[in-house]
Amino acid sequence: MPNPFCFFLTFYHYLPLMSILSVNNLSKRYGPIQALNNVSFDVPKGSTFGILGPNGSGKTTLLGIVMDIIKATSGNYNWLGQPGSEEQRKQIGTLLETPNFYHYLSGERNLKIAAAIKGKDPADIPRVLQIVNLFQRKDSKFNTYSLGMKQRLAIASTLLGNPDILVFDEPTNGLDPAGIAEIRELMKQLNREGKTIIMASHILDEVEKVCTHVAIIQKGVLKTIGTVSEVLATTEDTSVSIELAAENMSVLESTLRQLPGLINIVDSNGVIQINCEGSVTAAQVNKWCFEKGIVLNQLSMKRKTLEKRFLEITGTQSDR
Amino acid sequence: MKLKHYRAFKVFGILYLAGILGVLFIMNVVYSNLSAVQITGFLENPFAYPAIWNTTGWCNSWLLFFPGWLIINHCVNEFNFKTHRQNIIDGWSRAQFISAKLILILAFAIVITLVNILATIVMGISLGASFSFEGFESMAFVFIQSLVYILFAFMLAIVLRKSGLAAGIFFLFGLIFEIIIVQLINRKFDLAPVGFFMPLQVSDELFPIPFLDKVLNIKKPAIWALLLGCTTYCSAYIYFAVRKFKHDDL
Repeated sequence: MPNPFCFFLTFYHYLPLMSILSVNNLSKRYGPIQALNNVSFDVPKGSTFGILGPNGSGKTTLLGIVMDIIKATSGNYNWLGQPGSEEQRKQIGTLLETPNFYHYLSGERNLKIAAAIKGKDPADIPRVLQIVNLFQRKDSKFNTYSLGMKQRLAIASTLLGNPDILVFDEPTNGLDPAGIAEIRELMKQLNREGKTIIMASHILDEVEKVCTHVAIIQKGVLKTIGTVSEVLATTEDTSVSIELAAENMSVLESTLRQLPGLINIVDSNGVIQINCEGSVTAAQVNKWCFEKGIVLNQLSMKRKTLEKRFLEITGTQSDR
Repeated sequence: MKLKHYRAFKVFGILYLAGILGVLFIMNVVYSNLSAVQITGFLENPFAYPAIWNTTGWCNSWLLFFPGWLIINHCVNEFNFKTHRQNIIDGWSRAQFISAKLILILAFAIVITLVNILATIVMGISLGASFSFEGFESMAFVFIQSLVYILFAFMLAIVLRKSGLAAGIFFLFGLIFEIIIVQLINRKFDLAPVGFFMPLQVSDELFPIPFLDKVLNIKKPAIWALLLGCTTYCSAYIYFAVRKFKHDDL
């Protein structure tokens, strides 16, 4: 009997509007702790979907539920419109929380076990090891690997069989700066190939650089969701930030203090940053300074960052 | 694939094999040194057929803590390395994972039974005993007893998830507490043979003590009752382990 999930995967590329993952009112309670509270969202096909939240916000619990290692208290989820099943999981490359391998086996033997469970051809193992630059150490035991190498092996395991859906939980954990850059580029490359990537992270910069969509979770509650640009645009704070510099910085600063619409002014590292009301534009500031006899040698609008938006949503206290 | 390169598995396998032959050899040396009066007084020759089948089985019952410990170690390693989670993430169902462990346990029991048959034949040949299949049902009892011990260890590992705790309970219960409880029930409270139906003891009773059974004047349960007890316990161990693994967060 043909596998319905394989049938869906066959037509995967012809279903542009279909949700890859649909989470419906998912809740999880650990005794008195409400880890997830009625979380619902859809992951669009072809997106790199970031699940962003502080430590302990419920990101890993959420991914654990959709991979069937944690039982939801209530709610449900669907992969490609079908309830979760082991056949679906075989077609999804998943790295959840930490690299989980047999310590006494080599990297290659560990991948052979993963390939056997997934029903993938072990001939694909050299390819995935080369992608993560671990081929030279394929015969070394897992317990001799550094944290970064373990993470690379886990990413290699997710790539077995070239799946169309990938799930990563903190994928750059333990990697050095070069490794982080490589993995981020790999995720972008995979996304360009049309793969859907679901990534949980508490690293704002990572989500902003890699993801097309983002869901922000705090204390198990979904705070906001949308494309990264939508989330950045949806803000109660309409102020703008502009960075300026001129030959005579002290004259520039004293002049800017009289700028109509100015909220505050910060002098840092030879550049003055002004926060103004939303109606103020860079062109207006430039004109105003020129009329006051100041020629600017630097003028740039500062884009609102995901970090700022994230802090607006979750607050600035460490206990979020 | 998981156990092929697992050193502890090989070491304990060799220790078990050496153990069964070693215990048989030592028992034979002790028996050979008994005086003729002692031998003829209350013993049949435990190293001649058909009794040698039972003797091997009885010796084996002391060594079943090896495979039990191995199963505890293997299962708890899965929890410690979180590979049980990864196996599920990679596409096994929870039922498949637990079934793989049950198949492994079945394979252990079959190998143990084959080793016992081999050890009995080797011992019989080395002592010049004339071969006979009479009493061979003891080897079937070895298989059943192996299942009882290993499944008990397996259930402890799955339910407790801690190697030290599971192994501690397995050894302390099997080697000390159960013996005390059996004696209390059978002798102190005079409820024999109820005490023989304790979780591990029920399978131990399938093998009369080769040297002393005739002098231990106590009411023993029928074989069918012991086998029923073993089946019930095995079913219970499987039920609790499967239920725990299928319904809990991993």
